[in-house]
Amino acid sequence: MEPTAAASMTPGARQTAISAVGIRKRYGHVEALRGASLSVGFGEIVALVGDNGAGKSTLMKVMCGVVTPDDGEVTLGDGARVEAGRFNATDQGVGVVYQDLALAPHLSVLENIYLGYELLQPRRPRWLGLLDRRAMALEARAALQQLGISLPTVEVPVSLLSGGQRQAVAIARAVKWARRVVLLDEPTASLGTRQADIVVNLIRNVARQGLGVMLISHDMDRLTRIADRIVVMRRGSVAAEFPGASVTLSQIVEAMLGGGSVGVAPINGAPPR
Amino acid sequence: MSVAPTRARAEQSPDDATPPIVWRPRRASAAFSILIVDAVAILIFSALSNFVFLTPQSLSDIALDGSESVLLCVGVAFLLGAGELDISIGANVILSSVVGGKAMGAIDDPLFGSLVGALVCAGSGALVGAFNAAIVTRLRVTSFIATLASLGIVTGVAYVITNGYNLSSVPLSLQSDFGVAKLAGVLPYPALIAVVVALVASFALRRTRFGLHTLALGSSREAALRAGVKVRARLTTLFVLAGACAGVCGFIDLSRYASTNLSGHQTDALAAIAGAVIGGTSLFGGRISVWGAVFGALLAVILQDGLVVVGLAAFYQLIAVGIVLIVAVSLREFAGNSDEPTPVFERIRVLIRGGGKARSDKGGRLPGMRAS
Repeated sequence: MEPTAAASMTPGARQTAISAVGIRKRYGHVEALRGASLSVGFGEIVALVGDNGAGKSTLMKVMCGVVTPDDGEVTLGDGARVEAGRFNATDQGVGVVYQDLALAPHLSVLENIYLGYELLQPRRPRWLGLLDRRAMALEARAALQQLGISLPTVEVPVSLLSGGQRQAVAIARAVKWARRVVLLDEPTASLGTRQADIVVNLIRNVARQGLGVMLISHDMDRLTRIADRIVVMRRGSVAAEFPGASVTLSQIVEAMLGGGSVGVAPINGAPPR
Repeated sequence: MSVAPTRARAEQSPDDATPPIVWRPRRASAAFSILIVDAVAILIFSALSNFVFLTPQSLSDIALDGSESVLLCVGVAFLLGAGELDISIGANVILSSVVGGKAMGAIDDPLFGSLVGALVCAGSGALVGAFNAAIVTRLRVTSFIATLASLGIVTGVAYVITNGYNLSSVPLSLQSDFGVAKLAGVLPYPALIAVVVALVASFALRRTRFGLHTLALGSSREAALRAGVKVRARLTTLFVLAGACAGVCGFIDLSRYASTNLSGHQTDALAAIAGAVIGGTSLFGGRISVWGAVFGALLAVILQDGLVVVGLAAFYQLIAVGIVLIVAVSLREFAGNSDEPTPVFERIRVLIRGGGKARSDKGGRLPGMRAS
């Protein structure tokens, strides 16, 4: 993991890790995204909020290359474009933690972290695919420790872990292979208070390592505690942006519900009909 | 990279949220319990038969009779572990032996003919496997339906080729020098093949990327896809390997009886699935026990041979295997979580105490798991 250097940059002048510009996406009659634009810097935590159907998940899928946008493009800080129409963009440095986790419950923590990126024994023919479990175990332990995740062993099957531990493993997996940014869809949705707090701390550690973080969540209370920036989406575009530290819950809710009457100015993207 | 602190930390500071888990190797226990059941069955039949059943001759007969079902069980266990089924393997055994028998008949030299026949059998089986894989991965038909269809097609082709008559164009030396011959007078050669295949399969499952991807496919297809596992290629390999196992069985069939066996193998596929599941392989994927499959396959053979030795009709074997299947799977269910096999005594303890809860959610901890 090299991009840690970016973390030392002063806040406000962060290098862009990923940016989406003017994204449009239509599913049949439904216009899911109407020119949404958003960028995430290295070491920054951006929270994406909005009512159901506001386009949060679609935007996230476009940003990680799973969904091809009708218009607009997603670029990485170095100018490279995220190629769309694939299962993920991990090899371009974009890690994703899906809401339904996408871990294999029967496999161990170690196997889940390395699934698809297995280390093979050096000096043995690669076609044999002999796993170098020792090296993987050492690296996986180091990666977990770096994020402050403690598990009794990396050999335990994921099905025996608690919900919070599983979420931690999913995040560790994404962080292990992401070089620029990690996208998380509802990371605390199915967790109890205590475990949600652990995951929130974990997300903070991810950003401290220098990776950009974008997360979708309805957990306003925790979001306002960790997010550097809160981006409110409404009807397929970005309706408002707030700095995480100073915003109040009612401001966010007003923006989410389209509080035109209350006077929150849309700062980005096309205004709703 | 300093490693020692990591380990120390992992051991000393358990996660606040949950107590640490004492965890045992997951695949060994299921296989071990079935091995014990096998041993007990052998001892019971021995006691009932004045220890005729315990003679080296009788045990090597079990090994010979079990060689085919062990091969099929291991092949099917891998498919089940990946979340797929193959119910066409019995038909595949027949077609492979027919095609291999034809090849042997076309070659005069017995040794050369036998070698070519072996390759043709395995190749024919693999080809049927590839056919199944193509239907599943390309036409997106579920493997149950795909292999149900190929069960019919493959059986039909075998009958069309032979016109319904068994082939006897098999070199007799194949039977005398391989089919009924024994290594060092103890281990029948067909059983040797089965042992080698099981050893390779067990190694591949634990130590290779192929084994890991197979389990991932069965555990969560979605996770495997998102992790970039080449799902189609892996599935194709699995079907081809299971088919090749059936092909080798076809060759063993030819070598043992010096003839094809068109009317046999009707229940092979289901017996193989039963053996694998008894041995601890999950019907729904994600868990494979190679040695469990081996001992599960042998249990059926022990019951069959044992019933004959004690003077009961071999038909009772089908009933006995059915009961064992129900008991084995229900004990696993009663143990609380069918995703992790627990030793037999643990299951029985839970059953007697009545503490059995049907299938806890996947996050549930086993009764056998102790928090330290």
